[in-house]
Amino acid sequence: MDKLLLALSTLCFLGGFVYAVVALRSGRPRHTTRLNVVFVAAGFLFQSLALHQRGQLHGRCPVTSSAEILVFLCWSVVLLYFVVGRTFRLSLLGMFTEPLVLVFQTVALFLLWTADPGPSPLDTVDGWRELHVAVALLSFGAFALTGVAGVMYLVQDRQLKRHQLGALFYNLPPIRHLASAIVRLAGIGLGLLSVGILSAFLMQKRPDALHLTMAFAVWLGYAILLGWHLSGASTPRRLALAALLVFLLPLAQLATL
Amino acid sequence: MSLLCLGVNYKTAPVEIRERLAFPETGLPDRLREITGLDPVREAVVLSTCNRVEIYAAAEDHAEAFERLTHYLVDHFRLDSPAAIEFYRLEDDGAARHLFHVASGLDSMVLGETEIFGQVKKAYQIACDASVTARCLNKLFQQSFRIGKLVRSGTQIQQGSTSVGSVAVDVAEQIFGRLDGCRVMVVGAGEMSRQVAQSLLSRGASSIIVSNRSHDKAVELAAELNGEAVRFDDWERVLAEVDIVISSTSAPHAIIHPAMIETVMPHRFGRSLFLIDIAVPRDIEPAVNDIDNVYLYDIDFLEKIAARARIEREKQIALCEAMIERHIGEKGIEALSPERRPETGASQPTDRINSMGNIQKRNPV
Repeated sequence: MDKLLLALSTLCFLGGFVYAVVALRSGRPRHTTRLNVVFVAAGFLFQSLALHQRGQLHGRCPVTSSAEILVFLCWSVVLLYFVVGRTFRLSLLGMFTEPLVLVFQTVALFLLWTADPGPSPLDTVDGWRELHVAVALLSFGAFALTGVAGVMYLVQDRQLKRHQLGALFYNLPPIRHLASAIVRLAGIGLGLLSVGILSAFLMQKRPDALHLTMAFAVWLGYAILLGWHLSGASTPRRLALAALLVFLLPLAQLATL
Repeated sequence: MSLLCLGVNYKTAPVEIRERLAFPETGLPDRLREITGLDPVREAVVLSTCNRVEIYAAAEDHAEAFERLTHYLVDHFRLDSPAAIEFYRLEDDGAARHLFHVASGLDSMVLGETEIFGQVKKAYQIACDASVTARCLNKLFQQSFRIGKLVRSGTQIQQGSTSVGSVAVDVAEQIFGRLDGCRVMVVGAGEMSRQVAQSLLSRGASSIIVSNRSHDKAVELAAELNGEAVRFDDWERVLAEVDIVISSTSAPHAIIHPAMIETVMPHRFGRSLFLIDIAVPRDIEPAVNDIDNVYLYDIDFLEKIAARARIEREKQIALCEAMIERHIGEKGIEALSPERRPETGASQPTDRINSMGNIQKRNPV
């Protein structure tokens, strides 16, 4: 059932993305954002139900395998999209988020269908460990959205520079909002990751040195990114590019899990 | 009861005539009561905008009503040579169709513009408040609002920006978001730069700085735009403080170079700079557009976008008219009693357009 729910969720994100692209190309993008939110909300609902079922299976936070980590990361991305996208008025953030979620969830589905490790209950659940995992993955969700905002910035910047004033141009958020979203999202991610790292030191069994080193590297990468911005030495375009490059750090850490 | 419309618009009368016939908003309720006091006229709405002056009325005898209304206008506005003004006179379905086109923006100078819809609503509201409308005009105007909304939401008649100023505003909003707090500098006090600056101000730009070789002209334009004049020798100093620069000097060579902008950008702390070059020959070197966070648009490009939008809107006319006719085919003209309603297809939209076109030919503006 959990796999079916995940497949439905993936289909919702696929549907939302296809719908948004078709609506933009047809030149009638007026309701694109509104209806796209419905697709994303449906995808989020199925995603949450799938994670709930996996959580019931293990009796703890469902992040016991690479597939589950990917699904939880996608869930974090979509959750933050709802919180941040609406607050920062970032239209089309959903459309740009969907391909990322689509790829991650398709890989997760493939892994679950081919090699589902099954239930992995623990005798005693360490609350600090659960907090560490959940908050760290939420922070990675924020970093993923930082990258998405970076892509949106670069697309809008290119359109402004090349004078390509099409439907996508008018439906993307103003470039100034995108620049500030990159900074805010990186800040949110950094705050969450700080909580995640601190909670790792309170766990009954500390994570291994490689895991902690990589977490510090991610933290440092985003701290430098924000420091660079605050120093005034960067331009928004360079910051957007850097946000994409620095996202390789959390991706590298995920690959080691 | 028959419907009628008597009026002039930008196609049939020059601005000198339209301004003479304009009804000021204050006192309009009294004028409406005077109009409905004319014997065969029972209901009336006056639509008076910069592009048209039209009286919509419901009357027992339309021929008599047209005569009385024309005399009223001649007397009220003390017209010296009324014969020189050719009012269009539309009856029943012709009057209704005309209003539907007006409310949909199809009869506007800027095709598909939205302002007219609000103006029609306001004209009707004033007439309602003055108690000079009843069943006939109430039904007519309510139907026109429904059709206006239908046409605007169901077609792309109001998409795109059709003037250089509005294209510039659109681009500015895609850079800065809301323009509140944006500072604008005008270098060269020409007519086009005034128009673009006004468009930006109307959308919330907070302050204008004007610089011109002739300082007196700068002071004059700054006063008109409620801004501040800066001496031409000083405009470079202000560059770091503004977000949008409109340049339209008559200099024979570029006055804004990449090196100048590169010096300024580090002092802007990541704020974008939008440069609008409406001068010919151009004031700003194209290489400026290669600088990070600087966006340069010239007059050719802005005009091209505006022209493209105008062409796109023209293409929508047939679609809009078909939509109006389909609505009339389904619902009829609700204001008309059944015996006065036209048979389906009796009056095609092209007939109406042609008839308006004929008026235009007789009275070239």
